Amino acid sequence: MSELATLARPYAAAVFKRAKETQSATKWSKSLAFMSDILKNKDISVVVDNPKVDKQRLSELLLDICQGHVNEESENFLKLLVHNNRLRLVPTIAKLFEAFKADDEGYLEVEVLTAYALSKEAKQEFTATLEKNLGKKIHMNVAVDKSLIGGVLVRAGDKVIDVSIKGRLQYMQKALK
Amino acid sequence: MQLNPSEISDLIKKKIENFDLSAEAHTEGTVVSVTDGIVRVHGLSQAMQGEMLEFPGNTFGMALNLERDSVGVVVLGSYQHITEGDIVKCTGKILEVPVGEALLGRVVDALGNPIDGKGAIETTETAPIEKIAPGVIARQSVDQPVQLGLKSIDAMIPVGRGQRELIIGDRQTGKTAIAIDAIINQKGTGIKCIYVAIGQKRSSIANVVRKLEEHGAMAHTIIVAASASESAALQFIAPYTGCSMGEFFRDRGEDALIIYDDLTKQAWAYRQVSLLLRRPPGREAYPGDVFYLHSRLLERASRINAAEVERLTGGKVKGKTGSLTALPIIETQGGDVSAFVPTNVISITDGQIFLESNLFNSGIRPAVNAGLSVSRVGGAAQTKIIKKLGGGTRLDLAQYRELAAFAQFASDLDESTRKQIERGQRVTELMKQNQYSPMSVAQMAVSLFAANEGFLDSIAVNKVLDFEAALQLFMKSEHSELMNNINATGDFSNEISNSLRAAIESFVKTHSW
Repeated sequence: MSELATLARPYAAAVFKRAKETQSATKWSKSLAFMSDILKNKDISVVVDNPKVDKQRLSELLLDICQGHVNEESENFLKLLVHNNRLRLVPTIAKLFEAFKADDEGYLEVEVLTAYALSKEAKQEFTATLEKNLGKKIHMNVAVDKSLIGGVLVRAGDKVIDVSIKGRLQYMQKALK
Repeated sequence: MQLNPSEISDLIKKKIENFDLSAEAHTEGTVVSVTDGIVRVHGLSQAMQGEMLEFPGNTFGMALNLERDSVGVVVLGSYQHITEGDIVKCTGKILEVPVGEALLGRVVDALGNPIDGKGAIETTETAPIEKIAPGVIARQSVDQPVQLGLKSIDAMIPVGRGQRELIIGDRQTGKTAIAIDAIINQKGTGIKCIYVAIGQKRSSIANVVRKLEEHGAMAHTIIVAASASESAALQFIAPYTGCSMGEFFRDRGEDALIIYDDLTKQAWAYRQVSLLLRRPPGREAYPGDVFYLHSRLLERASRINAAEVERLTGGKVKGKTGSLTALPIIETQGGDVSAFVPTNVISITDGQIFLESNLFNSGIRPAVNAGLSVSRVGGAAQTKIIKKLGGGTRLDLAQYRELAAFAQFASDLDESTRKQIERGQRVTELMKQNQYSPMSVAQMAVSLFAANEGFLDSIAVNKVLDFEAALQLFMKSEHSELMNNINATGDFSNEISNSLRAAIESFVKTHSW
């Protein structure tokens, strides 16, 4: 994974620069997401991983599938990846691209797990508090996880704020050992 | 059902009282790969160099490589249960070990956990394993001796408090034996000892512990053991652990002696860790920073002045200097001191005690090569009486060595040459000493005085040791006051010289050896 990120970074950076120049970040984001979805398909990955498949035919096949979801530039990008044998990097490139985008637009992707579903008001208040705490605008994805028992767990990048009952109990278990 | 001692309700109550429930924010990463104790972790963008990282199952690791997308971590201990995708947490702390008086008499592993089955260690203090050595202003020059209790070393290669003196030699030349004798001889001197065993057999470590217990030397000794069966990471950090434990005493105005047995194996362990972390190999496949590995460790052995002790203790200890003396051990292969690690450590230390296997095999034990062994700073620290009497020994041995080679061919020698050779033979014989029988300053002074004044010249070479043993017994029973006086002051005067001469003369008359 870490090695993949190192390999994917130049591609993602190039795509992002191009996207900024042509102001098509949202389009790129969509087409990258679509491409990585395709590559997650089992049948496709068999073809992609098979070294006997001709590169020319592989790129034609992928472009066929992607028709309507990619523009000329992303077509070229896909061809380049096929040529360099880096199709496996697409999901990582997509992830890094999103990170570049978020960084540029000045917001943070935050994942929030709660024991109980939040009301709309609570969500707003929570967002405001988090934004103040993290010092950045945030895009919040809220999910419910009953195993937390109570409280919330916030994950922003590699930063984790754990104020769930489960986390506290685990901490207490360690402290009392 | 068995009740655990830590489950007493009072203890639990106290723990609950101190239980800190602050909302903790930490950084997390995921394990990408696990290879031979090296874990690559994705994420952890906030990790520090040398930071302690927490793995599932109460396992810890140390961050050694901070790269753009990953962190290279060595796992301290077993790593078999760590799998790809596991969560790794930052602790925000550099690796720390327990320190304090409570560790004396204990055997601990490289992380400071007791392994002698004597229960938990009652200390609350911890210290980071990596510290910067005291600065120039904080230091004081070496001027007090550490008596190792071995005639040949204390007379010719003296070690001072705060010095770094290397013990170097092939396998089976008695390197550890010197170290153990040194520890035994510190009994009652107030010098605390730390013995760090790196990459040794568990049986050898058990042997050392037993020998120290037999001689009542465990009470002032801490043993840090990272045996051959433990992971390379633990073998690599064990010397730093021991050093932090020693610095505790140094920083409180006390004296400590630390023995690293041996640094060759630590360098091997570090080489293994470095190669697995994919750091580029250099000479003999060691990484580029193998010199710094040893220099930063040995630089921490030092003597610090009273002002620094006062500053470190917050004014509690005044007017006392502290010292940490280091005796690193290096094992050479076939007497080759020009290999990479031996040359490095020779250049770092303040002198070396060079042991030779051919001397050892010909029965000269300790097998010290007096010509190649030096002490660069110890002379200033030597006890006056030993300095005065030992100077002659060195000269006698040097002249003897020069003549001995030449004398093998010449059948008839002139009177003075023959005398010098005979003197040399007897001094060489006198420098032999049994293991586990360290000598006091006065005992050494008597033996050296007897040699200097020519009392040995009329004794057959193979009778020299018998003569010495009987002389020591005689002095102990008949002249204990003189001996105590020498031990107490360490001074040498005409008066002492005269009484020593008189005593030995009266002993010679008894012919009781």
